[in-house]
Amino acid sequence: MEKSVEAEGLSKKFNGFTVLDEMNLSVEQGQLYALIGPSGSGKTTFLRILCGFIRPDAGNIQVLGWRIPNFRVQSQLGYMPQETALYPDLTIMQNLEFFGELYDLPHDQVRERAEALLQLVQLENFKNQSIAALSGGMKRRVSLVVSMIHKPRLIVLDEPTVGIDPRLRVALWQYFRELTQQNISLLVTTHHMDEATRCHKIGLLSQGKLIAEGAPDELLKESGADSFDEAFTALEDRAKEVPA
Amino acid sequence: MKSWSISKNVFRRIRRDPRTLILVVLTPLFFILLYGISFSSTPKGLKLIVVNQDTGQASIRTEQVGRVNVPLNLGKKLIENLDHDVFTIVVRDDPDEARREVEMGEAWGALLLPPYFSNFLVSEALRRSGPREIDYNGQTINALPPLPPVNENNPPQPPTLILDNSNPVIAAGVYPAISKAFTGLIYEDESTLIDSSLMAIQPVYEKPITALDYTAPGVIGFAITLISIMLTSISIVRERTSGTLTRLLIAPVRAWEVSVGYMLAFLLIALFQAAELLLTSFYLFGIRFNGNPIWVFLIILIFSIGLQGVATLISTLAKNEFQAMQFILVILIPSIMLSGVFWPVETMPSSIQPIAWLNPLTHANAALRNVMLRGWDLSRIIPELSVLIGFAILMLILSIQSMKRQADTV
Repeated sequence: MEKSVEAEGLSKKFNGFTVLDEMNLSVEQGQLYALIGPSGSGKTTFLRILCGFIRPDAGNIQVLGWRIPNFRVQSQLGYMPQETALYPDLTIMQNLEFFGELYDLPHDQVRERAEALLQLVQLENFKNQSIAALSGGMKRRVSLVVSMIHKPRLIVLDEPTVGIDPRLRVALWQYFRELTQQNISLLVTTHHMDEATRCHKIGLLSQGKLIAEGAPDELLKESGADSFDEAFTALEDRAKEVPA
Repeated sequence: MKSWSISKNVFRRIRRDPRTLILVVLTPLFFILLYGISFSSTPKGLKLIVVNQDTGQASIRTEQVGRVNVPLNLGKKLIENLDHDVFTIVVRDDPDEARREVEMGEAWGALLLPPYFSNFLVSEALRRSGPREIDYNGQTINALPPLPPVNENNPPQPPTLILDNSNPVIAAGVYPAISKAFTGLIYEDESTLIDSSLMAIQPVYEKPITALDYTAPGVIGFAITLISIMLTSISIVRERTSGTLTRLLIAPVRAWEVSVGYMLAFLLIALFQAAELLLTSFYLFGIRFNGNPIWVFLIILIFSIGLQGVATLISTLAKNEFQAMQFILVILIPSIMLSGVFWPVETMPSSIQPIAWLNPLTHANAALRNVMLRGWDLSRIIPELSVLIGFAILMLILSIQSMKRQADTV
């Protein structure tokens, strides 16, 4: 199966401090991949390399079959940053229209798609509301919609469900699973261990290294733990014991 | 076309953000109004003490009827001739008291007219002009210059001006304003006879150019610099800190398209502000405008491209809006001081002058002045425009490079 993301031996240092240490990671087409790790583990640096903002010191990364940075990747990549990243003075629809234009989408298509996505995140009645007037959770939902407006083949979501209530969180994860059926790949970073169980594959990142990777039940079995919180701790301890 | 989408988005955001809208529309007006009102080239309402001891009589030698006494009252006429807008005139009797008041800072000057002021003035006039026909009791007689004074120990007293020259601007205004009152005092057709200067001045520009006219082009350039650098750099910093720049740069948009998009929007804003500044200064303050406005806009357009580049560079260096503000001040203050807006570059110390000539605002300023005051055509401002074009190209390249760098730092 074609790989949506394939990273081999990625290393990155900032001021002599190792942030990524020969990291290997691959996301297959149509896969929902959760990248889990404590803050400072290198998640954001990996995403920045993936998006082409920074270059790795060593290693290779291919996204959607192309080496990056690559202009063709950019039109098929959706990215939801941790910040709200919306224009607060504009309405939801104006934000969506603007970002849609950047992907060369016809105006009608943007509106049509925006309506459908807003319905999904239950914001269809707020489309003419300015962003500044929305709650934190609502802004996150709009941000999610923006990252998907251009029907990307790979969606990278940096902590997408922070500040979103449980009911909607369930609905979103369900939607993410649906997207994978359309052969769309998703790479999600999260702190919610329980959310990880909804993914096809989980990667545990610690100190710039991918210490474990596999399907949720495989990882539980491998660690011998009952919950993902315990599994992560057990696998991290084990990684520290075995010198690389 | 993506650049145009980015520009349109800038306008949409400004339209929906009242504070920025005010900054865009009202700041230039506020700026030029404040400048026009506070900066006046001719001083007004200066307190001037006049001590008039003139008897009013002039003793004139004539060819026909010997020496005659003519009541000319030149002291009184002089006081009437003084510009009552420029001076608030206070009459005193005692010259010593008048001197003391000036020394105490209670008046800017004291004009002392001695007892034989009329006589002195007429004698001086005749000495300079030679024999001259005057009208005396209905008949025309020939007035002769005075003989050399017999008694050298008691020469006629000239009028005296006691001047508080602690403020050079005011001192420089008082003297010509008083000189002006002397003209036409004796002979209406002669202006240079009594005047302290016998040199005939031939101004190149017909109507007098006031200091307000002289500084206006510079102030317009300065206002454009200040407002556009602030607006652009803060907008880009805000775009970065809010994360929207990440979204822009992750979309299939090239760094140059983002730079050009921003530039386009803020160039249009700068031109709008330039129009505001020019119209206000022209219609409200009657600023001299001898040249073609198209060239003025061309200068501002090219200069603004460079300014947008500077603003983009500032936004790359600044981590947040507050830091951007600090960078703006550090760059703006010297560039304004060393630009010849308020005082000519030629008057600066020679060690500083090269820096002033490296300053693009100096050249923008010179070009604007040449068009607005001298009425020069495009062909005559090519040297200044070339510098500005170079500045614009350099900054355009650097700003695109720095926009790429912004992607690394988001």
